[in-house]
Parts: sequence; structure tokens; C-alpha cells
Amino acid sequence: MKILLIEDDREAAQYLIQALDEAGHVTHHASDGETGYAMASGMDYDVLVVDRMLPRRDGLSIVETLRAEDDQTPVLILSALGEVDDRVTGLRAGGDDYLVKPYAFTELLARIEVLARRSSPAEAATRYEVGDLSLDRLSRKVERAGEVILLQPREFRLLEYLMKNAGKVVTRTMLLENVWDYHFDPQTNVIDVHMSRLRGKIDKGHAQPLLHTIRGAGYMIRE
Amino acid sequence: MNRLVQIWRTSTVRLTATFVLIFAVFSVLLLAFITFQSSIQIQRQQAADIEREVRQIQNIDRVRGITEVVRAVERLSRLPGPGIYYLGDPTGMMIVGNVDDFPPLILQVPGGYSFNYARQRPFDGGGDAPQGTALVRSLVLDSGLLLVVGRDVVERRGFTAIIFQGFLWGVVGIIVAAIFAGVFTSIRVLKRIDAINSTSSQIMSGNLSERVPVTRRNDEFDALATSLNAMLDRIEGLMQGLKEVTDNVAHDLKTPLTRMRNKAEAALRSGGEPETQREALETTIAESDKLIRTFNALLMIARAEAGAPSGAFADVDVSAIVADVAELYGPLAEDEGMVIEAAVTPGIVLRGNRELIGQALVNLVENALKYGMPPEGRPGRIIVGLRPENGRVLLTVSDNGPGIPEDDRERVIERFVRLERSRTDAGSGLGLSLVAAVARLHRGSFRIEDNGPGVRAVMDLPQTETRPAQA
Repeated sequence: MKILLIEDDREAAQYLIQALDEAGHVTHHASDGETGYAMASGMDYDVLVVDRMLPRRDGLSIVETLRAEDDQTPVLILSALGEVDDRVTGLRAGGDDYLVKPYAFTELLARIEVLARRSSPAEAATRYEVGDLSLDRLSRKVERAGEVILLQPREFRLLEYLMKNAGKVVTRTMLLENVWDYHFDPQTNVIDVHMSRLRGKIDKGHAQPLLHTIRGAGYMIRE
Repeated sequence: MNRLVQIWRTSTVRLTATFVLIFAVFSVLLLAFITFQSSIQIQRQQAADIEREVRQIQNIDRVRGITEVVRAVERLSRLPGPGIYYLGDPTGMMIVGNVDDFPPLILQVPGGYSFNYARQRPFDGGGDAPQGTALVRSLVLDSGLLLVVGRDVVERRGFTAIIFQGFLWGVVGIIVAAIFAGVFTSIRVLKRIDAINSTSSQIMSGNLSERVPVTRRNDEFDALATSLNAMLDRIEGLMQGLKEVTDNVAHDLKTPLTRMRNKAEAALRSGGEPETQREALETTIAESDKLIRTFNALLMIARAEAGAPSGAFADVDVSAIVADVAELYGPLAEDEGMVIEAAVTPGIVLRGNRELIGQALVNLVENALKYGMPPEGRPGRIIVGLRPENGRVLLTVSDNGPGIPEDDRERVIERFVRLERSRTDAGSGLGLSLVAAVARLHRGSFRIEDNGPGVRAVMDLPQTETRPAQA
């Protein structure tokens, strides 16, 4: 995946470039807003990672301008400003996701990979399949190996989100944001409990588990 | 000079000046009116006097004969004052009188006239000019004699002038007095303001315990001083609180930082066994996550206490949040051997901040999960409630656990306060402070009640007007 990182803190940028490289992504770096904007509009990237406060040109204005030029490249905004209002202004400017500093690299990586997938056409699919597990978004029917699995509405949304991003790591906060639509900071393992229930319904009695816990990062559904 | 400029700038003086000006304008108008009125009045009076004297003289002429008429007119014309008299024979020769240089028409055609004449004698009331103006009436008596009776109008003008002058002095006097009063009042006001100014500059230079002096007059300045002092008390209290919080932050942030540092140092010393180093690094990350969490909680409280701009407020379906949170934590509670029940009145919508209300509720539920387990193995039961009551909305989280001693109920809401039995748990001690701050942000309050047994945490929020959804 080709990523453009616009970040003025050189040390943080170096660390991210190296870590993304290890994860198998090619990362270009711009250390100020003007250069970043020029690179973003001149080349084709899969994801832009934009710091909000940049010298020469503010991160939000870069995103706004790109969107005004009908450039739909997914954008992840990084910011030290973490209040709800800041998040809302960031997303309103055209950002696709918003991550508050300091963050865990696994969280950033998971979000970048999920974002990049958005530009692929799978978004509109009405049916997801992973191995012998299938989920029909219209009839809201879930089956594994031909057997119907009954899920609570929230469990359905949880599985839907996981399957939409099959093969990608999704973190606990991503689940809380996307399935429950809250930006809480739970101090307990509240998401894990929901996941273990879902796992009980999906994987129990099957030789091959589909729902995997990725240590230190989150969850993934894959064959 | 400076002081004068300062006085001129005070609102009292400006106000006084405005009123003096308005007063002066009205006085001049009133003066003009009175002068005009009195002049008309005096003119009428003179005309009536002339008429009366003419009738008297006609009467004397008719009843007592020419000799008496001559004597009467002579006597009148010798009286001091503005009177003008002339008595002549039918050919126009003067018999007696004090004026004789009439325009000839007056003697030829009887009637009322006004003309200028040469004064033969000065008289009181300002008639010392050689030229006077006369108002006269001429007629022919029954005996054929010519009679002219009149008044020098200088007298009339003199009266008017006296009234005018008197009034003018009065007005000038009042204006002068008003200016003095204004300046005097301003100086007094300035003195009070100066006292407030000097206090505030002392406070700005760091002496926070300084207060504005309050007199016993109980006037508006005292009211101002009292409210300023109340504000200063509040600021001092906040500063004190800030200092306490800073100390607590120092403690609560330094402890994990020290632990982190020790762990890293120990790992370095241990001589590079990958397993220990890995473990040390993992602890470091876990500790730093905890620090970040504490930091975020502090920032969130600070934002909520600063009162986020209400522009960030939107219509929030609180019923939905409560139901969501109960649902979110249901499975976790079950795993812990507890039950969460939701007793929610549906459709309660408040203007507020959805994330903050949600976070506050999450904090309360997590607290109930952590500390609300009944001791002797009874099933734990957490009830999340939402109901309207007398124009307010009560959001409650109750458990049937060991409860909080009455003396500690206020204290647990304070920042970083953690009761002894929770010292060992993970947690920042900020959860309830955030709940209280969120309640205050929504102009409500937060309290902890006895649930007999257990704790009932109550967010008491005012019902707000919601705006219709915008299309």
C-alpha cells in the first residue's frame, strides 16, 4: 500500500515510516503542509495520514482542498486535540477517521488498513463470506456451514463490521466507535466480553476458528 | 490638570453636564414665555389705567366743571412716574400737562396712539433717556377741552427687564451649583473607584488575599465591592483547588512514571535476557497507556468544567444512551456474576454533549461493577435508571453492594480521591469527578445517596428546551 504521511515531528515520522515499512507499506513523507498538499495532489496514494497542526498549511485545510478538488483518497487525521468537537470538525472537513495522539501503532496500522479498503468496491456488497460463514446484509441472515446462526441485533452489527473488514485487524476502540457509535474510554474489557459471546456463537462446534484475537491489537476474522 | 481630565471623564460629570444643558434650554424657553406674558399683562394694565383716568376726568368735567378738571389734571401730571397728561383748549393750546410735543394728529383725531417723544423729566424705572415711547389716548371732553392721557412704556419694559434679570441670575446660579455638585460627586465616586482599582492592581501583583473595602453606607458601590469580593473568594478557592490538584497530579502521574523508569532501568541492568526485556517493555507500554488515560480524563474534566461552548450542544437522546450503555455492559456484568437492569423512560431528549453524558454514565456503571458487588455472595444487581421528575431528569445508577460511608460520599467526587479499599485497583480516581463536571456542564448536579444497601449515584439534570431537528 502507498501511504503519504504529512507530519512535522521528524522523530515521530521516522518511527512511523519504519514501522509502516515493516508492515509492508511504502510511505512517503512530507514535513510541512504546502509540500504535503503538493505531493498529495500530484501523486496517487492509497491513504493519507495527515497531522492536524502543521507548519505553512494546516492539516484540515489540506483535506478540505483535496475534497473540493474531488480527490477521494481516504484520509486519517492525527491530532493532539482529542475533544469531541475537534473530532467532529476533523471529520466534517473531509477526514475519514480521526486518531488522537498519543496512540498505539497497532491502532494506527489497523485504521490505515481498514481505510484503504474503503476505496475498493467491496463497500457496496450485500453479502459477506469468510470461509463457510456467510452474512446477508439484506435478509440479516447469518449461516455457518449451512446452519443458521441467530444473533442479537448488536451481535449482527459486530459481525457485519468484522466481515466487512475480513483479513484486517480491527481494534477495540474501532469496534466501539463503529458498532456502538461511542467514543468512550472504557476502563474494563467490555468489548472482549461481547467478542467472546460472538465467538461462542460463530466458532463453537467448528474445527476451524474464524474469529481470532490478535494479541496487543484487537480482533480479526479470516479463514 | 490630569485630575480635571479624569473628573471630566467620569460619568457623573457628564451626566450632570447633560442635565444642566437641558435645564438651561428649558429655563430660557420659560423665561421667554414669562417675559412675553408679563409684557402683555402690563400693557393691558396700562391700557386699563389710562381708561380709568380718562373716565374719572370726564366725570369731573361733566359734574364739577372746567376749573376742577384743570386742577385734577395738573395734580396728576405733577405725580412722579410714567404718567403722561395734557389738557388743552379747543384750539390746541396747552392749559396744563407734562408733555406737549404731540404729533398734531393726536389732537385733531381722538383715539389711541403710540409715538416717540422727548422726555422733559427723568423718572424711576430707567426712564433717564431723553427719548421715550408713549402710549396715549386722546379725546374731546364734554366741555370742549382736549384731553390726552398716557403712559411712558419704558416702565413696562423696565418691569420685563427686572423679571428677565432675576430669572437669568437664578438660572446661572443653578448651573454653577449643578457643576459644583457634579464635580463634588465625581470626586467622591472617583475615590471609591480608585479604592477598587488599587485593590485589583494589588491582586494582580500577586496578593490574592486583598479585598475591596466595603463601607457601611450600603450603597451600590458596596454592593459592587461585596460581589467583587465574593468573586475574589471564589477565585482564591479555585486557585487553592488548582494547587491541590497540581499536587495530586504530580503524585498520581509521578508514581507510574517512576515505576516505568525503574522497570526500564532494571531491564537494562539485567543483562539483556530477551524475555525480561520484553516483559519490561510491555509493562512500560501498559503504564504509559494508563498515564495517557489519566491525562485524557483530566483534560476532559477541565474542558467540562470550563463549560464547553454550548454551540457544541445538540439534542441528545439520553434514553437511547442509557439503553445502549446497559446493553453494552450487560454481558460483562453477567460474567462478573451481576445483573444490569435498565429502568428507562423512553424518549427523554436533552440539549447536551452526547459523548460526555455517555462517558459519565460509563464511569458510573464501571464503578458499580468494580465496587458494587455485595459481600456475602448475594447476586449483585445494578439498576440504570432514567426518569423525569418535576421538570428535571434523574439519571441514576444504583447497586446493592457495600455502599459508601456517609462521611465519604462528598469526598469521593473530588479529584484523585480514592477510598482505601480501591487503592489497589486500576483507576485514576477521576471517574466521579468527571461525572460531577459533566453534571455541572449541563447545569445540573451530582450526588451519591444511600441505596440501603448499596450506592445510588444520581445525576440530577434540568429538563431543557430541545430544538426541532434541523433538516
